[in-house]
Amino acid sequence: MHPWAWWCWAIGIGIAVSGTTNPLLLALIATAMVVVVMLRRSEAPWARSVRAYLILALFVIGMRLFFRILLGGSTGETVLFTLPQIPLPEWAAGITLGGPVTAEAITGTLYEAFRLAVMLLCVGAANALANPRQALRSVPAALYEASVAVVIALSVAPQLIESIARVRRARRLRGDSTATLRALGTIAMPVLADAIDRSLALAAGMEARGFGRTRGLPTAGTLPVMLISSAAATLGVFLLLGSPFWQTGAWLLVLGMIGGGLGLRAAGARLRVTTYRPLPWRFTETLIAASGVLAAVLVLGVGWLDPDTMSPALVVLLDPLALSPSTDPLQWPTLTLPMLLVVALVLAPLPLTRPRRAATVESTRNDTRVRLLRAQAEPEPTWR
Amino acid sequence: MTGSRARVPLAVAVALVIGTVAFGWPLFLRPESGMQPEQAPIVFALVLPMVLAVVLSEVAGGRMDARQLAMLGVLAAVGTILRPLSAGTAGFELVFFVLILAGRVFGAGFGFALGAITLFTSALITSGVGPWLPYQMLAAGFVGLFAGLLPRAGGRAEVWLLAGYGAVSAFAYGWVMDFAFWPFGVGNDTGISFDATLGPLENLHRFVLYNIATSMGWNLGRAITNAVLIALAGPALLRLLRRSARRADFAPAAASVASADPDAPDAPAAAVAS
Repeated sequence: MHPWAWWCWAIGIGIAVSGTTNPLLLALIATAMVVVVMLRRSEAPWARSVRAYLILALFVIGMRLFFRILLGGSTGETVLFTLPQIPLPEWAAGITLGGPVTAEAITGTLYEAFRLAVMLLCVGAANALANPRQALRSVPAALYEASVAVVIALSVAPQLIESIARVRRARRLRGDSTATLRALGTIAMPVLADAIDRSLALAAGMEARGFGRTRGLPTAGTLPVMLISSAAATLGVFLLLGSPFWQTGAWLLVLGMIGGGLGLRAAGARLRVTTYRPLPWRFTETLIAASGVLAAVLVLGVGWLDPDTMSPALVVLLDPLALSPSTDPLQWPTLTLPMLLVVALVLAPLPLTRPRRAATVESTRNDTRVRLLRAQAEPEPTWR
Repeated sequence: MTGSRARVPLAVAVALVIGTVAFGWPLFLRPESGMQPEQAPIVFALVLPMVLAVVLSEVAGGRMDARQLAMLGVLAAVGTILRPLSAGTAGFELVFFVLILAGRVFGAGFGFALGAITLFTSALITSGVGPWLPYQMLAAGFVGLFAGLLPRAGGRAEVWLLAGYGAVSAFAYGWVMDFAFWPFGVGNDTGISFDATLGPLENLHRFVLYNIATSMGWNLGRAITNAVLIALAGPALLRLLRRSARRADFAPAAASVASADPDAPDAPAAAVAS
């Protein structure tokens, strides 16, 4: 599965989540997300990251709740309990610590925090499902050099750990086994020197294999295009955030993104390199990416509707207000048909992809058998 | 070393402007725009990667030879190893001192690329890719960039200058990152949370209080770590990096021989022959 398809799906769900505070919908989306990750993740190390994101999400909820209770200022009538009040001095913006804590305020905070937590979970799901090395191979050609540097860093990092072990062994052989701050320096400096020597050797190897010989001159005019597009996109964001002219802002943003993409494409044209075994983008990938985009469109579209101008039957069916249920007065959240559609879209990758089976390639099995044989052929020497 | 052409400073200047908008967005958000604070980072998640791609393609693409690229990759690997080692222990961050020293030795463009690539690689290894990653890349890139733009100094003065910069940049990095994600740290309607209806000044005041309450210790820890590490390991590491920078420079050997002894016309030929 193409990594960008997973990212597009997860970001789409994240945008959909940003448009609702309905805890029922959020809980369903989170459950569906975790189910997809559990059934479709690989055995790779990055696939175990969902746990960390779940902990982070819980931390976000806890921190927001803590500040809500500590800083007081609650509105609403249903007082749960009251903390002693401590007014802070004038320079502290007139903040009062403590005070009554109401159910309305707690519920509102929990809804908001839950939304943020589910957005974090979407990011975690993309991290767990998408293979970062494959994603790196499909970056635009203009970023070829930067991606080469990332690939070097990813492959040199394990060698550096091995280098640390070597330097420590050498120290122990010299009879130096102190563990002070000074000793740390005597390990770090040889390791760094080793790393720099490695980079020189690597550069010599790259040059010997003709690295950088297929690069042409930079295409004229790409930089102004890219810079003007970036500036236009930024201006668009600025207008979106800080003014009521959101149509102009959105147009500038879209134009800037398209211009930037074209500029990067043109800047990459100077490079004549081919991709080694490129990943195909098939119809399945399009469907998965589309399910994320569709979920975002669905939630934002329903949220944008105005219930006052719609026919009553349509209001009952779509019910835009159910996306952000009221917390003051408290109200039990409801589920509507579009929300179930969104959950179905979150689950869409399940029928579209197959679970990844453990790699039982013939050759690896042979390899294991050979290794086992070797262990038997060379028994540990016994000293008697 | 890298920032010799006019294109790179231009790209970096645009990145600075865009970075200011991206990091300071809580100041620009007005209530009449109808945009919720939760949706702002999604918009920036679209724009910032493009800006980073443009700047990195200008800084790294076409101007870096194999030697600089290999050095960039290996130093990014060093930072990648150091980051998980130091994460989560009260601001004890080991990434930045490598970044600052390398930016000082190899120049501003290299520093920017190193900062961005180090953070990106370590996010890949620890699967920390998310909406915060472009911000981290941009902020760390600027830490490396300004390290390369510091004024000339030598000997002890240089180490003190870099250590001071390490402390200042640690605070600056913490502040801009906190500021960009402040509206998510605490919920709405508390005394220290972001409120779009208040003016920018009032929001800044609230942010200062929030920052003192939550992350002052982290920033301080990071600043002390940076300054102490640069003061202790700076001289040796600077020497190491400078030696490799010099040793990696093969090309101008003939030119330097010629300039050292202009009266010997056959010196370049001799250098090539040897």
